[in-house]
This record gives sequence, C-alpha cells and structure tokens, in this order.
Amino acid sequence: MASFNLRKAEPKDVPDILRLIKELARYEEMEDQVKLTEKDLLEDGFGDHPFYHCVVAEVPTEHQKAEGYSVIGFAMYYFTYDPWIGKLLYLEDFFVMKEYRGFGIGSEILKKLSETAVKTRCSSMHFIVAESNQASINFYKRRGALDLSLEEGWRLFRIDKQNLLKLSAEE
Amino acid sequence: MEQFILRNAEPKDVSDILRLIKELAKFEEMEEQVVLTEKELLEDGFGEHPFYHCVVAEVPEEKQTPEGYRVVGFAMYYFTYDPWIGKLLYLEDFYVMKEFRGYGIGSEILKRLSETAVKCRCSSMHFIVAEWNKQSIEFYKRRGAADLSHEEGWRLFEIGKQSLIKMSAK
Repeated sequence: MASFNLRKAEPKDVPDILRLIKELARYEEMEDQVKLTEKDLLEDGFGDHPFYHCVVAEVPTEHQKAEGYSVIGFAMYYFTYDPWIGKLLYLEDFFVMKEYRGFGIGSEILKKLSETAVKTRCSSMHFIVAESNQASINFYKRRGALDLSLEEGWRLFRIDKQNLLKLSAEE
Repeated sequence: MEQFILRNAEPKDVSDILRLIKELAKFEEMEEQVVLTEKELLEDGFGEHPFYHCVVAEVPEEKQTPEGYRVVGFAMYYFTYDPWIGKLLYLEDFYVMKEFRGYGIGSEILKRLSETAVKCRCSSMHFIVAEWNKQSIEFYKRRGAADLSHEEGWRLFEIGKQSLIKMSAK
C-alpha cells in the first residue's frame, strides 16, 4: 500500500467514528441497533470526563475513497478495574474498513493499544469476541490472547433499562 | 435486623474495601491472587480521575463485628461504553459478609446501583457471573438479568501483561 497514520481521535473525528461503528454493526447485521448520535459521541468522548477513548487510522488524501473518507479504521477503548490487580484496558470496538485490510493496520492498532496499556500501568487488556467469530479469535490468539470464558467459565449478564427502572422504583 | 446505611465510599473506607475484596476472593478460593494494595485503591478510586466507584453498607456501632468492623458489604462499579447505545454501568464486585446476609442489604445495594445507572443515563448494567455460581445467577435473574453469553454467545478474552509487553516491543 499504503502509508497510513495512527493517532488519537479528536472531536472532528466523531462523524467518522460513528460511520465506522455503523459499518461494523452492519457487518454483524445489527446496523439498526446503533442508537448513538454524533452529539452523544462528542459529549461522552470529549467532555470533562471521557467515557471512552479512540485511536483512528487514516490514509493520506491520494488514497481516499471516492466518498472522500480519510479515516479508515478505529479502536474504541476505556479503562476498567479489577479488584484483585487494578487497572485494565478494555477494548470495546475494533474495525478496519474491508478494502484496507491485510496491510497491517489492525496489528499496528493493537500494538498502539498495548503500548497505551503498559504506559498507563494496566495489568492486561480485556475484550469480548463472539464465539462464532473464528477469524477474530485466531487474530487475538496469535497475539497471546486467552479465552477466559473457556478457562474460567465467565458469563456476561445484562440488566436492561426497563428492569433498572423497575428495580430502582421498588419499595 | 438490622439497621444499616448505604453510602458512597470515602478515602477512609479503603482498608475495609480491601478487606472485603479479599474476603470475596477467599470465597472463590483465590485470596492470594489479590495483589492490589490500599495505596493503589486510594490513588485509583479517590484521585483526580477515579477508575472505580464504591458503595458501602455500614451497620451501627452496636451491630459491629467482633473485630470492630462496621462496613459489612460493598459494591464496586465503573462506567463502560457501548458503541451502539452509549454509557453503561458495569458492576465489578458485589459482596455482603456472610453473617449480614438475608436482611436485604444486597437488594438495597442493587437498587441503589440501579438508581445511579438511571440517573447517569446509562442504558443498562452489565456484570459477569461464574457459570457455576447458581445462587448469584438466580439472584440476578429474579431481578430481570439476561445471560448475554447464552443469548448472544459472547466470550471474554484477555491479553495478559507479558503478551502486551511483547506486542508493544515489536
């Protein structure tokens, strides 16, 4: 290729971040589930207290697609806390546009995240992967990832808004 | 019982929080895995940017344990972000000392967390439960929790420190 550049996301990247979030959701056939707006992303990521952080991958002007996009990949992460060991980096979303895969962009993003994790004194990086997603599972396992669900039998649970309201209203 | 109060944790609670974290770990037969110190808990929870939040349950002096402990339960949580819907409340640790169970402390804690989640405009609360922990699974299911691992097939992965260092050094 392809020179590309990785950098921290800025407020101006919010439309591209939302675009890529929707592309990844479309790939999972869940695009209509994306309720988040650019306004939410702006407030939540670039306000006083960021609820997430993003790294974006961009390509120089001459490589832009017809629609003029420069940002062609991203990773969204935040910090979580393990009561036994302390800070962790949690990788929430990770996507490179199809036409830009195979050039090492994903690997570079993961490397940058690893540096961030080590620099901020995180003990490890956590993330979830759908059990059906063999390509991703292999990508991560090649880099030393361990399936904790398999090893330790963890299951992810959710109490949704309706039930939260119900619980908080209970006498 | 048992009167008790629930309140946000303060810096002075850090040693009780660590004690309860270790008690919960002991219950899971993992006590030696707790390497976190009071100093780290203090910096990470009560510094400029808190990495976690805690709610503690406290009993009055006349109900304190033989060792003199008044903080008898806690929940540790933080905020996470779902790229489709935004902020979530993530419940990380949740424990009430054995001798203080059955009085509704756990339910009150969960209720308080639900209020916090709604007030902070979180779409839902997430947490993980070990698949063998039937009692906890039932406790949560009674309150409307859905097993996403079951419904959506998610698996939790970890890249440990050594592998992170290896990757960042490449």
